[in-house]
Formats: sequence, C-alpha cells, structure tokens
Amino acid sequence: TRANSGRARSITPAVTMTAKTSLLKVILLGDGGVGKSSLMNRYVTNKFDTHLFHTIGVEFLNKELEVDAHQVTLQIWDTAGQERFRSLRTPFYRGSDCCLLTFSVDDNQSFLNLGNWKKEFIYYADVKEPEKFPFVVLGNKLDVTERQVTSEEAQQWCQENGGHPYYETSAKDATNVAVAFEEAVRRVLASDERTDHLIPTDTVKLHRKPRSATTCCS
Amino acid sequence: FSCYVTFVTQIIFEHEGVFIHPGSDDDGLEQDLLISGSLRIVEKVKLFSHDSSSVMEWDQCSGQKSQQLLDSQQSYETEWDMVNTVSFKKKPCINTEGSLNHGHERSRWALTFSVSELRSVTVREEGWPFLFFRLKDSSTSLPALHFHQGGSTDFLDSLRRFALLSEAPGDQTCLLVSTPSKALSQSFENLLDDNNFGLVHKFRKDPYITTLGGFSKVTNYIFDAFRGTEEQHQRPPEEMAELLGEVIPGLEINQQEEPGFEVITRIDLGARPQVMRKPPLSAGDWSKHQDLEGRMTNVPHLKEAIFKGVKEAWKFLLGYFPWDSTLEERKVLHRAKTDEYFKMKLQWKSVSEEQERRNSRLRDYRSLIEKDVNRTDRTNQFYEGIDNPGLVLLHDILMTYCMYDFDLGYVQGMSDLLSPILYVMENEVDAFWCFVSFMEQMHQNFEEQMQGMKTQLIQLSTLLRLLDLAFWNYLESQDSGYLYFCFRWLLIRFKRELSFQDVFRLWEVMWTGLPCQNFHLLVCCAILDSEKQKIMEENYGFNEILKHINELSMKLDIEEILQKAEGICLQIRSCKVLSESVIYGNFQRHLVAFICHTRAQFVEVNRETVFKSECQNLK
Ligand SMILES: Nc1nc2c(ncn2[C@@H]2O[C@H](COP(=O)(O)OP(=O)(O)OP(=O)(O)O)[C@@H](O)[C@H]2O)c(=O)[nH]1
Ligand SMILES: [Mg+2]
Repeated sequence: TRANSGRARSITPAVTMTAKTSLLKVILLGDGGVGKSSLMNRYVTNKFDTHLFHTIGVEFLNKELEVDAHQVTLQIWDTAGQERFRSLRTPFYRGSDCCLLTFSVDDNQSFLNLGNWKKEFIYYADVKEPEKFPFVVLGNKLDVTERQVTSEEAQQWCQENGGHPYYETSAKDATNVAVAFEEAVRRVLASDERTDHLIPTDTVKLHRKPRSATTCCS
Repeated sequence: FSCYVTFVTQIIFEHEGVFIHPGSDDDGLEQDLLISGSLRIVEKVKLFSHDSSSVMEWDQCSGQKSQQLLDSQQSYETEWDMVNTVSFKKKPCINTEGSLNHGHERSRWALTFSVSELRSVTVREEGWPFLFFRLKDSSTSLPALHFHQGGSTDFLDSLRRFALLSEAPGDQTCLLVSTPSKALSQSFENLLDDNNFGLVHKFRKDPYITTLGGFSKVTNYIFDAFRGTEEQHQRPPEEMAELLGEVIPGLEINQQEEPGFEVITRIDLGARPQVMRKPPLSAGDWSKHQDLEGRMTNVPHLKEAIFKGVKEAWKFLLGYFPWDSTLEERKVLHRAKTDEYFKMKLQWKSVSEEQERRNSRLRDYRSLIEKDVNRTDRTNQFYEGIDNPGLVLLHDILMTYCMYDFDLGYVQGMSDLLSPILYVMENEVDAFWCFVSFMEQMHQNFEEQMQGMKTQLIQLSTLLRLLDLAFWNYLESQDSGYLYFCFRWLLIRFKRELSFQDVFRLWEVMWTGLPCQNFHLLVCCAILDSEKQKIMEENYGFNEILKHINELSMKLDIEEILQKAEGICLQIRSCKVLSESVIYGNFQRHLVAFICHTRAQFVEVNRETVFKSECQNLK
C-alpha cells in the first residue's frame, strides 16, 4: 500500500475534521522581503524580530485559535520568495486551504507580481476551482511612510481578480495581522460549509492517518 | 570459484496458522484482511566454527509444507544470488525442486529479522494470544503476530533457547530480550545432539561464500522485498528519482545509476568505530609548518589537524593561496588579486542610475542583496546595528561577485556563505577571493536548475538507504525519502544550523577534504542518525519531520556530529577492506564513490594517519 496511495497528491492533509479541532493549512506567498516570515512570527509569537534571517527552504508554525465558535489549528507555511527556489517551494502548495498573497506597500514590483504568485499557486496547488478558492491579499509594511502602492490600486486589483479580501498590515507594529489571519480562517470555514453540502464527506480519503492537530509541535 | 564454506540451516521452530492483520494498525485499508502464515526460527551454523545466527521468519502460507522448508532456505540463497549477480553469474542452485518463482506470491508481507536484533516481545491476549515485536535499532513496531491456532507458548520457549526473556519492569506483558553471546554461540555439535527440542529438524548443506559471512546478518525487516518479484524489491533508485520528480516539479534526476545497485540494501557495515577528535591546532603550530621562505610544509598533516581561527589557513584550504607558494609569491599574488578586485568593484560602483534603470538584472541583484544583507547574521557583533561597516563589506563583496560571475549573479544563500568568511578574514579582498573559491565548490547548488542540490539530495538519499535501510524506509513511508528537509543544510552547509564558531569548525574540516570527499553528506547522515529514534518513536509524519529538522537549528553538538560522521566514514572504509575480494567491488564503488574518489585517496589518507600518530609521538 505504501507505494501507490496517491503520494504527491496530498502531502499534507487538507481540512481534517476531528471531534473538536480542524487543522487548516494556509500558505504565505509573495516576493522576497515583503514580510511573510515577519507576519507569521508576529501572528504566532506576537513578536517582531528585526534580526530575522531571510528564509531558506520551507518552514511552518502552528497557531491555535477560535473563530466563530470553531476551534482551529492554523498551520502557517512560509517559503522563500526568490524565483530560483520555485522547485523547492511548490510541492508544499498542495493541500492548502487558503493562500495569503502578500506584497509590500513600499515595493511596487512586489505588488505587480501578485498575479504571478496567484498563478503559480493555482497551478502547483492543483486547485480544481480557482474561482472558489479562498485567497486573501495582504499589503504589508503599512507603517512605512514612503508608499509605492496606494490602497485604491490594491483594492482595485483584488476586485478585478476575484473579489479577494484585502488587508493592509504591519508586522512591525501588529496592525491588522490577527484580523487578516482570522479572515483567512473564516473564508476557509465558509467555503467548507458550502462544499460539505455538495460532497459526501466519505469521498475525502486521506492517504495518511489523520493526526490530531495537537501532535504538531508549535 | 573456490571459496565455498558449508553452512547448515536448521529450523528450530515452526508453526503454521500464525496470522497478521495488516489493515488493523494503520490506514484503515483492507480492514478485515487476515493473512495466515507460518512462523519459524531458523538457526544457521557455519561448519567447523562456532558461528551461528538465528533468524525469525514469518511468511504467508503456501500450502505445502515441504516446499516451505525449501523456501526458507531459498530465501537466503536468493539473497546471496542477488549479491552475486553484481559480479558473478548466479551460482548453481542446489535444490532444484524448490522453485524460485514460487516466492512472489508469498513475499508481500514477509517478515524476517535476526533474533539478536530483537529488543522486546509483548504478549497480549484478546480471545487469542498475539505478540508484538520491537527491534533494537529502531522503534518501529512490526505487525503483531496473532496465534489463532495456538503455539505462542511453544514459540516463546523456543526463543528462550537463544535469548533471555525477562519481564520489563512495570509491564509484565512485555518481555525484554537479551541475547548473551553464550546462548548465541551454542555450538553446532550441541544443537545436533539435542533432541529435546522436539521440533522439526532439518539439515541442509548450503554453500555460501566466505566473504559474505560478515555481511550475512539480515537486520532489517522487509515487507515487500527479500524473495519477491521485481517490483516488490526495495524501491530502486530510478523509481525513487521518479517520485522525487513527481514531488518536486522541475526536478530532473540523472538516471545514470549503475545496475546492481539493488544488492547494496542489506549490507551490515559492522559496528561504528568510536572516534576521538583532537583539539584544533594552535597558531604556533601553523607557523611551524612554514619553511624559511614561507612555503607550507607537511601539508597533509596540516590539513589533517587543521585548526580554527587562524585566518591564514583558510586561504590555503580554499585554494586562494597555493600550498607550495613562498611568502614572496603570495605577496605578489595578493597585490594582483587586490587590483583585480577593485577593478571589478569599480564596475558596479560606476554604473549610473540611468544605466541601472535599463539594466534589470543588475537592479534585481542589487535589490536582493540589499534585502538579504539586512537579514544576515544581524545578531553577530560584526553585522549588528544599523551602520555597521560589516554590512557595507558584505554588500560590496556580494555586488562585486555579481560582476565576477554575472551569469550566476546573486542567489539567496550566498550571503550566508560569505558572512563567516568575511568575519574571519576581516578584509574585503581576502574575503572576496576566499568566497570565490568556496563558491567554486558550491556553484552548482545555486545555478538556475539547482542541479547541485538535486544531485546532493539524491546522493544523500542513496547513502542513507545504504547505511540505514530501516530508517530510509520509514522516511519513504512518510513521503520524505527524498530528504527535502535537508535542503537548507546542503545549500549553505549547515550555516543556519550552527553557531559561528561551530560553522568555522565544520567548514574547515570540510575544506580539508578529509577524512573523505563529500564529508558533509556523512555529516547529514550523522545528524539524521541521532534524530532517527525520536522521529520513528514519535511516528512523525511529513510535516513533523520537516518541523523537527528545522528546529534542530542551534541545538546541534558539532563535535559529537563530527565524531559520528567520521565513525561512519571509517565504517564504510573498513567495509572496503573486507571487500578487497572481488565480490563487493561494485558495491564498494557505489558507496565509496560518494565519499572517496579513488583508491589512491585511501593510500594517501592512510599515510596521513600514520603521519598523525608520528606527530603525536613527537609531542
Ligand atoms: N517597516 C516594516 N518592516 C517590515 C515589516 N515586515 C517585515 N519588515 C522587514 O522587511 C524585511 C523582510 O521581512 P521578511 O519577513 O524577512 O520577508 P519575507 O517575505 O519572509 O522574505 P523572504 O524570506 O526572503 O521570502 C525584514 O527586514 C523585516 O524586518 C513591516 O510591517 N514594517
Ligand atoms: Mg521569509
């Protein structure tokens, strides 16, 4: 059995419902330096580390939270933004429940690249219905004074590209960070409820034993 | 060919109607599947010696008992056959009536391990007795054996002939197994005379090749392999490569593994030597190694005992200064290199804003470098604060490197490789040229297709598979057989995993090329070896393994790792000595190819080892 059970399909379990807690996988994508790791760390540890290294390889952190009376373990995946490392990060897209497209408001290029990130995600995450997949767009570094991207531009992009929710965040001073991640969770839960009605639950077979969310260290 | 040694195989215990329930413990597939089979303890005794080993086997029922007995023997033969095919034609099969292809329907759940590998047996009862086995070298549980038709007590009694079974403190259902050498070395004569076993006695003469004796302990339990058809063998490298390719899109794998690879999977490398490392060499010792004109002397010894902190050494180790250069020659060289450096530096320094606007590649490199310099070792005194000159140097050297190698330019990870070098050199020009030399070794890792990374991951995976099949199988079963989680280790040679001082230590060792080539792969194996127990005991899956490995950062003990890695190297090398005879030639080539280039290398290393002990004596 170990050889043929659709290995690459589901590297990580998608939403795994246990009695109490659901495990949701969200992934942060965006150019190098826009603040993906800082956002993740701010949200999970509530710290902003100015000495943070740039990311090499792939990392993730878990965070427990409650949204609208749902107990959720959020598994936040963070990868390296540089083009060259694409082949390393893309296998980890599979099984994501939500994608956080991130740019930095003081870096226009990172904003222009949002579309590419979205495409890359849809392609490698093997998203069946991209229109229905929950994306959330984050414009980070709200605290900096020299903006290159206006709120209006960003909002317009979100509107034109599928009506994604947009948040302006600052990992540095914690503005909107928790709100944005919680919105991501809400989006997933909402889209789950939709699909739960459509798909009989037993068609979703995980190829590995579902783990309770707490077995992952955090 | 002539070196046959006669073995006698004796079946000490055999019982049919022992079941496994393959679906019950894991993925819920085939819930109700029961597989009936027979359980055996087989004793193999080498004639004219006291060597013997006992092996526990369980395999699916085939119906005919006589044939099973044959097969129990065939199973060994088949294994040796596989080995032989590396360099010999198959040896003639003695028992012609036991058909080999009979094996394939029986092999899927087959389970074999040496009694001496057994850690404990847990006895449970739920309507019928069933036993859990745990092995010493891993904590993976084998499938439970269910004695639906009795026989568990007899089995345990038989096991007691070879091992002491004692109740675990606090758990009387768990029997700890210890195999004192006395029980194990029960001689052939004794067994022959002992009719009180009341068990099946079956002797067969069985030719094996002497040299295989040392490797004959089958320590890994193998579900699919051993006597099966082609696809039931351990996953061949090419298939693994395919999987890798599947999991990492765009990852192409060189399919140039030589045939005969399969045989390597069940080699017992023997005990790992304990390695004691000497303290690093002092600065005084370094200068003693120069002749009057400043030529380095006794280079092999110097490399062997290379030290940390004396920056001069790095220039030699990395090849910036030739070992046989005189002090005068090095001054000249340094002058020329300084000149060359500043010419290249001027090139990017003199690019105007207008030019840069039209040069997107340069612009991108600059932007990446600026971002990464701000995020490299910022807690280190050399790079901390906002206006630290160290930051400017880091930036300028990386920019100049883009001019030196514009095709490659700047790729993330390079700042990590440069930072310790600059820290030690404290000099822009020297740091640059040392970095250039280091990058020559690491270049492929950073290229567009990252071929170096792919090659290394495959080499590492293959190596691990050879060294520790059980662990490799476990990782495979968790979709982690291609060791993606070692990516950061390999890309920047453990730079993020260790403190600065420890990075120096490790890199210096690596740069000596001792004790073998690609030592860093053995370093990976050493770390994984230390983590294996935790990973398997906690039954970590794909995510947890990644997380666990990531979180080892700054928790590793470099001396312990180096010792272990060197131990593994010695282990492999002594394996080579064992195999001077033709048989393992091929196996050796595969295994050793990773770590050593040629035989000459060994000779050289040996000479240095001698040299080392001579130096010890001098002190
Ligand atoms: N002013 C300000 N700086 C930030 C903010 N978030 C991150 N930064 C800084 O921006 C730089 C990049 O942040 P990272 O979190 O490392 O960026 P990343 O997206 O993870 O980058 P890669 O790992 O290279 O893909 C760091 O120097 C952070 O300190 C923010 O909200 N405000
Ligand atoms: Mg990052």
